[in-house]
Amino acid sequence: MIRFEDVSKTYPNGTVALKNLSVEISKGDFVFLVGSSGSGKTSFLRLVLREELPDSGAIHVSGKDVLKMPKWRVPYLRRNIGCVFQDFRLLPNKTVFENVAFALEVIGRPTETIKNQVTQVLDVVGLADKADNLPSELSGGEQQRVAVARAFVNRPILLLADEPTGNLDPANSEIIMQLLERINKAGTTVVMATHDKGLVDRMRKRVIEMVDGELVRDESRGLYDTEVSTGF
Amino acid sequence: MLSFFRYTLRETGTNLWRNRLMTIAAILTVTVSLFLVGAALMLKQSASQASSHWQQGTRVTIWMKPTASQAEVSAVDSQLRTLPFVKSCTFYTQQQDYEEARKLLPQSEFSVLQPSDMPSSFRCTPTAPNNVFVVETSFTGQPGVLTVTAPEQQVRQMEKVIRIAQWVFVGLAGILLISATVLILNTIRMAIFARRREVAVMKLVGATNWFIRIPFISEGFFQGLIGSGLAVGFLAVFQTWYPLPVLFRLSTTAFIGSASVVAILGVSIGSIGSALAIRRFLDV
Ligand SMILES: Nc1ncnc2c1ncn2[C@@H]1O[C@H](COP(=O)(O)OP(=O)(O)OP(=O)(O)O)[C@@H](O)[C@H]1O
Ligand SMILES: [Mg+2]
Repeated sequence: MIRFEDVSKTYPNGTVALKNLSVEISKGDFVFLVGSSGSGKTSFLRLVLREELPDSGAIHVSGKDVLKMPKWRVPYLRRNIGCVFQDFRLLPNKTVFENVAFALEVIGRPTETIKNQVTQVLDVVGLADKADNLPSELSGGEQQRVAVARAFVNRPILLLADEPTGNLDPANSEIIMQLLERINKAGTTVVMATHDKGLVDRMRKRVIEMVDGELVRDESRGLYDTEVSTGF
Repeated sequence: MLSFFRYTLRETGTNLWRNRLMTIAAILTVTVSLFLVGAALMLKQSASQASSHWQQGTRVTIWMKPTASQAEVSAVDSQLRTLPFVKSCTFYTQQQDYEEARKLLPQSEFSVLQPSDMPSSFRCTPTAPNNVFVVETSFTGQPGVLTVTAPEQQVRQMEKVIRIAQWVFVGLAGILLISATVLILNTIRMAIFARRREVAVMKLVGATNWFIRIPFISEGFFQGLIGSGLAVGFLAVFQTWYPLPVLFRLSTTAFIGSASVVAILGVSIGSIGSALAIRRFLDV
């Protein structure tokens, strides 16, 4: 699903975000991306989305060489990738329904399809009764569920979440986590950058840890921190 | 495709309304500049129309009073024959002048005329254009002479004025067209800024670049279109109501020609303004 081969990225101001990163994430995986602030998690996700280009290395996303992809193909790549952010990024002057519908509208889906899919996905995230509310009338947890609905409404094969629970209390974080897990069970690969130790430790999913742009740990049923070996 | 069309119209409408003050300023600037362009074009057309009419015409005309006696007419006639700087002359009777007036005057003005109201006239070609004035001074005030006119000279004079006016209009219009383009560019820039969140989401969910751009281009396009529509309207009013001499009035076809140039210019500056704004401010 995602393959990075020896990828390095330095921003124009000289900051090194990724150093010789090689990693492979398979279809259907659920991956936690951990590491301290500035370790390069967001940069990694931006490279997957081709919002940035690396200085060297190769990146394949869903079997396609992202670097050789012509610019006009990039939107079609992104139609297969859903995104959720810490700050929700909803449109304040659109209702919940319209926010989710917008994602389908701007890729030219017919009105009838939009109506069906949006209704369905709002049901999945449990917000059918808030469809006509504005984001400002929702709690943070509810807003993030709208964002998840928008990311998932087009049934992407890959979902990237950048600290989706960063602004939420534990109860709401749990709801979002369960949603992401459900989405993953339905076949979507999920990559989630997070600082939420409790969540990572409880889920025991694959954990990839980065330090200063380098991959330092990749465990299939990992914890947030490196397990201190307690002897044999 | 249909839904994209509807989407574009809706977004364009919303944007125009949200930025209505800037939009109105841009549209009015387009209108004024294009009105000037149109006026310059129409002046040019009517000037060439008028001068082609006079190309082989009489250079100087001595109009006799309708009441002039036969003797007075003969006196002028024989005098003209002796003048060395008059090449040839044709005498138009009152009836002939009446027929000519029928062609030149609007129906409303012509209908009150009788052949007996008309002056008879000598249409003369001098040996050199400047001799027109000699003829003018020698015959003005002579018994039986109503007036001496040199239509071609008048047309020349008018052409000169028109040519200057035309260049003034074109110059002003050029400056205003640039302002209009900049104003449109600025409204689009503001629209892009107002919609930066939408644009970010659109990029994220995979809207194509053209899908993101077209509503903004269409916004500029409509500003240009509305501006040129108003300009054409004002030109039509001007053309209908301004009391231009008949010779300078444009035919409908000629007017449509000028109006199309105005319309094309309008939508072009609208599209160019928004294209520039998009290149500069919309990062897709
Ligand atoms: N657009 C940019 N231009 C320049 N430097 C950047 C840019 N984006 C990120 N960086 C730098 O690159 C490094 C990696 O940043 P990145 O955002 O990937 O970290 P992160 O792991 O997501 O951190 P956090 O946990 O705080 O979100 C940091 O040093 C950051 O300052
Ligand atoms: Mg980050």
